[in-house]
Parts: sequence; structure tokens; C-alpha cells
Amino acid sequence: MQHLDEGTIHSWLDGALSADEAAQVEAHVKECPQCAAAVAEARGFIAASSRILTALDNAPRGVVPVAAPKKRVDPIVWRVAATLLVVAGGTLVVFRSGGREAPIATTNADTSQNTIAGVSPTVPASGETKMTAESTPPVRKPANPTRGTTIGSLQPSAVLIEKSAVKGGAGGAAPPTSQALPAPTPGVSYSGVARAPASQTNIPARENQKVAAPVSGAVTGNISLSSGSARAAAPTQQTRSALRLRGATALDETGAQFPLKEVGHPRTLGVKVTLYEVAPGDTVTFTEPVSLQLSGVVVTGVGTEERMARQTAGKTAAAPAKRAAADAASAPDSGRPNPTVGAIAPAPSAPVPATRVEVANGVTTISWPDPTTGSVLTLSGRMPEARLQQIRIRIERERAAAAGKKKP
Amino acid sequence: MTDVERLFRTYNAALVRYLTRRLGDRDWAEEVAQETFVRALRQTSIQNERAWLFAVATNLVRDEARKDMRRRKHLALLAEQERDEMVEPEETTIERAQEAAMARKAVDALAERDRLALLMREEGLDYNEIAEALELSPGSVGTTLSRARRRLVESYESLQKSREEREKNAAS
Repeated sequence: MQHLDEGTIHSWLDGALSADEAAQVEAHVKECPQCAAAVAEARGFIAASSRILTALDNAPRGVVPVAAPKKRVDPIVWRVAATLLVVAGGTLVVFRSGGREAPIATTNADTSQNTIAGVSPTVPASGETKMTAESTPPVRKPANPTRGTTIGSLQPSAVLIEKSAVKGGAGGAAPPTSQALPAPTPGVSYSGVARAPASQTNIPARENQKVAAPVSGAVTGNISLSSGSARAAAPTQQTRSALRLRGATALDETGAQFPLKEVGHPRTLGVKVTLYEVAPGDTVTFTEPVSLQLSGVVVTGVGTEERMARQTAGKTAAAPAKRAAADAASAPDSGRPNPTVGAIAPAPSAPVPATRVEVANGVTTISWPDPTTGSVLTLSGRMPEARLQQIRIRIERERAAAAGKKKP
Repeated sequence: MTDVERLFRTYNAALVRYLTRRLGDRDWAEEVAQETFVRALRQTSIQNERAWLFAVATNLVRDEARKDMRRRKHLALLAEQERDEMVEPEETTIERAQEAAMARKAVDALAERDRLALLMREEGLDYNEIAEALELSPGSVGTTLSRARRRLVESYESLQKSREEREKNAAS
């Protein structure tokens, strides 16, 4: 047999030969060292060419480069990030402004006591219903010679209460006694002050804002909680410092009346229940049928608490009973012109309709028909009927004011 | 699975590799491969699928065939799926890039028929298929392949040697 040609060797190695041809080649290669070497070389070429061709597989893509799909961050990620940034920024602003307000509030309280005193405590009574958080000027309206009411006289709490009254007919604005604890929120504390300097003419726009802020912020709902703590901690270090802060002037005049403050709304079917704190530790429960559209009551306890803190400072030891008495008789007793209750207020419910009085377990409950709707309203608390009646007048005044506000 | 899909899944990888080695450009290779399958769609019957596909692909490279965009789109989608399943080759190093450049040079130095026969064989086509695709007599495929392999390897080794000499000169 002739030596194998290279083509045949490759054909044999590639398995392209028939069985007969393959057998012949195999036999020859075994006997022919030269052909065996050629076969070995052919194997090398096959393997090497295969390897060389594999190197071509790293061929680039695109003679004209094709834009690789960039790994872009999903737009939604950016949106979320932007939202977070905005929220975080806003929060920062709020916190920072809150932090700023607190000291301002203190300063104002410190410096403006005398002027504060000049503001009548009877804000609510004097038709201030129109006063909203946004409208500062009305606050000054009661500025009358009645110097000597207390700091609390006019302040934000009054405003807040007004606001709440507008919404839900709740809240009271009575001449303040001085009781309270510092409020937990700086913004709120400020609110108390924003009004304080109301003494006068120029109330910066900033203050308006601050007044507005607590109003909305007050709609919290943890009121009863905080008021509870307020009651418990009346004579604290804070109140004492607040006392120092306020100065003596206002102290001796600390008022006879404690502002009505809503401290809670126990949920009860069919009726709207409002808890008022009429003095630290003293609450009354005001119940009215739901039909009275009280669903929108704004709880303003947070706002008032701060103010009360200052007031408390001035009158830490005052007993509720004493206050009640003072409350009842404040205007005449003080002998100063006090434009409270009847003086300015229209006192819509002054002509007291038939009132029913019940006393059970030390709790006095008075009930009377609402002059406008005819539904029966009740007020109960651990206090004498006379005191309840007085509170009732204040509540009704608030409610009337709120009603007036609703239909300007 | 349609017929063209089956064809595609069976032969696309080999065809693209063949064309890539042939053309030195993967995108171009894929383009031609897709066009090849589009052509296959128009055929009522294909006797030897693999031979036919490689022959058409080879001719397309020559003829710069027109494209059927709509069908190519569908095939591009299939190609993408397949690419996802493929293991990507290692990252190209300088060494590998140099090897590829030399391989390209060596392949390009081959006669067209030798090159195509060799590339087809590397993709598993048997001698009959290669003969059919390249319109050769089956008996000449062995000779063509042996010549192609020898020349390729010799060409590559020669390039390698000259590179080593250049590097030696640069070092000294």
C-alpha cells in the first residue's frame, strides 16, 4: 500500500471514511512509521487549528460600535429618592424652626408680661369668635384698660380654643388661672407667646404663622394623655422656672379663672362627649347629641398646655375649690374693670332655660335644652352646681361664638 | 415550536460562531445568521439543513443579502434568549487579544474555500455537508481541510514567532 496522503489521513481522523477505508488506513498506520508520524502531525494540526479558531470567538461586536444598553437606574428609584429628600428637608425645616421658636417664645414671655397683662382675658367673650389662627389683629381687640389679667388672658390658647369652637363648639375661653405645664412641643409653646405680645400693634407675620401652626398641630389626639401629665406634675421644676420667668407682676394678678380647655373626647355612640379641664385636676364632661355637628371638633389641648404651664407657675398652690370660687367671683372681687362674661359677650344662652340638676356619688350633672337645637345638653363634674352652671355659660358662649363663626 | 425556531435553536450557535470566525465581527455574524434563517423560512423543504444553512450563510456574506426586518426582529429576540443562556467568554486580556489578532490574520491568509471548509468542519459539519455547502466533491474535502489546517497552523506559528522576536528585540 502506498503511503497515505494528507487528505486521507484527515478524512480518517475526521471519521469521514467508510468502514472499509478506515480499516485499511488503520492497518497501514500500524505498520508504517512514516505514515504514523504523518498521522501524529495531522492530529496536531487538527487540534492546533481548532484552538486557533477558538481564539476568534472573542471577536468584537459591531464594526460600528453599537451603544451598549446602559444600566440605568430605574426612574422610580430617582422619584423615591427625590421624595425622601424633600420630606427630609421639610422635616429638617420644621424641626429647626421649632427649635427656634421655643427660645423665642421664652423670650417673649419674659419680656412681654406686662403687656400681656394688658390684654383682656375675655377674648372669647368679646365676640372673638371671628378670630382665627390666621387673623392676629382681633386678638388685640380686647386690649382695654384691664391691666392685670394674667398672662394667659389672651394667648394662643384662646385662639386655639376659638378655633376648636369654630369647628366643634367645644373649648372654652375663660379668664385664665395660672396653671400648667410646659407643653411638650416647642411650636405650641411659641403659640402661647405669639399672642402674648399681642399687647400691641405690630405682630409680625411670623407670629401669625406660629399661631396657625399650633392650631393645626393641636389636632393630635394625645391630648388627654398630656393633660394627664400636666395635672400630675403641676408644681414641678419647670413650673417654678416658668414662675421666675414670668416675673412678679403678673403673679399677684394670676387670674381667677382657668381657661376652659378641651382635654379629651371619649368616644360614645350617639353623643359627642367633650372633656374640659376647668382647673388643673378638675374636669367636667360635656355631652351633646351628635346631631350638633360636632364631628369636627379640634382638640387643642397641646396648645393650651404650654400656656397653662406658665400660669401654673404663678399659682401652683391654688386649690381647685378656691379657684372655683375665685372663678365665680373674679370680676367683682378684683374690682377691676373686667370685660369678661356678660360685659362684652353677647352671652347667647344667658337666659338659662329649664335646667335639671342631679347629684350622684359626688358628681353633679346639669342638663338643659340647647337653645338653638332643642337637644338636651349635659354637663357633669365633681363640683357644685353653681360652678357647673358657670362653666356651662362659658361653654355655651363658646358654642355660640363658634356658630357665629360658621355663618359670618 | 415552529420549524424556523427549531432550526434556529439547533443551529444558530454554530452558525454564528462560524460566521464570527469568518467575518471577525459578532454583530455582523448574527445579522447574517438571522438572514440565513429568514431564507430558511421561505424554503418548502431542505434536505440537509445544516449544509443548507451554512451554504446560504456563506453566500449571504458574499452577496450582502437584503434584510427582512420583521422576521429578523423575531429572530433577534430568540438570539437574545439564547445569549442569556450562553456562558460569556472570559474577559479579554491583552494576551488573549493578541492571540485573537494573530488567529484572525492566519485565518484571513487562507484561501476562501479552505477557510470556509475549515470553519464548517469546526462547527461539526461532516464532509458531505461541507461538500454540499461549498459545492465541492466529497472526496476533495479531506484534502481541502488538511491543507487549510496545515496552512493555518503554520501561518499562526509564523506570526507567533515574529511576535516573540519583536518582543525579544524590544527587551534587548
